[in-house]
Amino acid sequence: MRNRKRTPAGDAESLEMLAISEVRKSFGDRVVLDDVSLQLKQGDIALLVGANGSGKSTLLRCVAGLTGFEGNARILGADPRVAARRGLIGYLPQLVALPEPVTVGEVIAFFARLRGLSPRRPADIAAAVSLPDGFLPPLELSIGTLSGGMRRRVALAAALIGSPPLVLLDEPAASLDEEHSASLWETMQALRAAGGTALIAMPLLVTSLLRHDLANVADRAVLLDHGRVIHDGSVESLRPAPALGAHRPMSGLVAEPAMSVGAR
Amino acid sequence: MSFRAVTAVAGWEFRLAVRGRLVMGTALTFTIVCVAATLLGLRSLSNLGLAGVGPGTAALINLAILFPPLMGLMLGANSLSSARERGLLPLMLVQPLSRLDHVTGVVLGLVGAVWLTIGFGFGASAVLLASVAGTADVAGLLAIVAAALGVGVVSVALGVAISALAGSRLQALGLSMGLWFLFAFAIDLVLAGVASGAHLGPFGLFVGVLLNPLEAGRVLMVLASGGDALTLGPFGAYLNVTVGTVGAALAVCASLATWTGSSVLVAWAGISRREP
Repeated sequence: MRNRKRTPAGDAESLEMLAISEVRKSFGDRVVLDDVSLQLKQGDIALLVGANGSGKSTLLRCVAGLTGFEGNARILGADPRVAARRGLIGYLPQLVALPEPVTVGEVIAFFARLRGLSPRRPADIAAAVSLPDGFLPPLELSIGTLSGGMRRRVALAAALIGSPPLVLLDEPAASLDEEHSASLWETMQALRAAGGTALIAMPLLVTSLLRHDLANVADRAVLLDHGRVIHDGSVESLRPAPALGAHRPMSGLVAEPAMSVGAR
Repeated sequence: MSFRAVTAVAGWEFRLAVRGRLVMGTALTFTIVCVAATLLGLRSLSNLGLAGVGPGTAALINLAILFPPLMGLMLGANSLSSARERGLLPLMLVQPLSRLDHVTGVVLGLVGAVWLTIGFGFGASAVLLASVAGTADVAGLLAIVAAALGVGVVSVALGVAISALAGSRLQALGLSMGLWFLFAFAIDLVLAGVASGAHLGPFGLFVGVLLNPLEAGRVLMVLASGGDALTLGPFGAYLNVTVGTVGAALAVCASLATWTGSSVLVAWAGISRREP
């Protein structure tokens, strides 16, 4: 059974944030998403787990309105592109290279302006980002001088500016060190406490290894295999990853019987 | 359209552009070449005045037709294609702004960078000319600058349209340079070669001018610098008889506006239909 860590307010519980129904996406003959259905209510934090090429990133792009698909997806009842224009979505792509000549503060100020904020002083800029102190690199540093992990933190901050109701993060912890990964998960916990909703794509290996820790952050783990949802249940229901060199079918990674797809 | 979003994107693109090597290098080169052309032309300018379309003015017009458009096309071509390849475009298109807001902001920001370059080059020339130029000459120079700014807008819009449609940044840059060569040199050569054989006549040449934004800009600059249509030779005489100097200026202005508007629409359609 799904393990809810939070007791959200009654009205929030009933608000459907994301509804995906029979989403199908192909690139030529290759089917990347096959009849994917998924619902998230306000306050849900769900991990989208799968091996490389399982369709995690494509599903996030569909929900973000960045790619066309067959089927239906609604964010608070709106089409994904409309939802994006209304500022309902925060999205972090798997790979993003911020321009090198600008500073951290300029990046944050730019995305804050797009979200209707007008940060003028550094303190305003820092306040626009709902992340723990120290997560964001110093505002005056140029992007070109930052490490890969630091750049990732800036991009993550840009995605979370303005506290969008639905956050879509594609492998947000990639290239983050232990300390900042912990800060990221703290942020997700704070997001959940504030009634925010998130769908977070994570590699299968990392998720299964950290399942006990991630269970404190996420309510659910949705396991994708070759574009199909094969499991939708608690994070702890995922088994440890196979040893190096070993191979076993994806179904063997689930410790309990799969819930009905999309059931809540 | 969201004014806030458009200005935010324009400011962002302008900042990125002016900190790039392309704008810095082009601005420096353009300024040096403008100063050199002005110094070389000063002797005849002092005799004929700027409004006489002397060698200095002709050199400035040709420089304005070559440098800023090349820069505008390349900046535009680099914009969306680079953002797409860097993964920045998806991050930006999920923000609360429409695709048209984004394209408009990109075009305006890059136009600012091209205008800055034009300002540096012609500004340096203006300082040198101040010692010999009269009031009419200053007005003529300002008119040339205004026409050059218009050509800058067209070139950026064309570049952004290429950027929206091209498969990669490299392809976009290649196409933009090819288009610049076509507009700056090839079409003129082709028209000169086939004009008599194909019986194009003055009207055909005029249509050719309107279909080439750089040539339209060149004609506009010549007209704006104080010369009338007759300055353009037999072709100008035809314009003088048929539409007059003002009519010819309005026609080329309409051509530049059409090129800009249609390029923005193409870029908008491209960014809307294509996956970022």
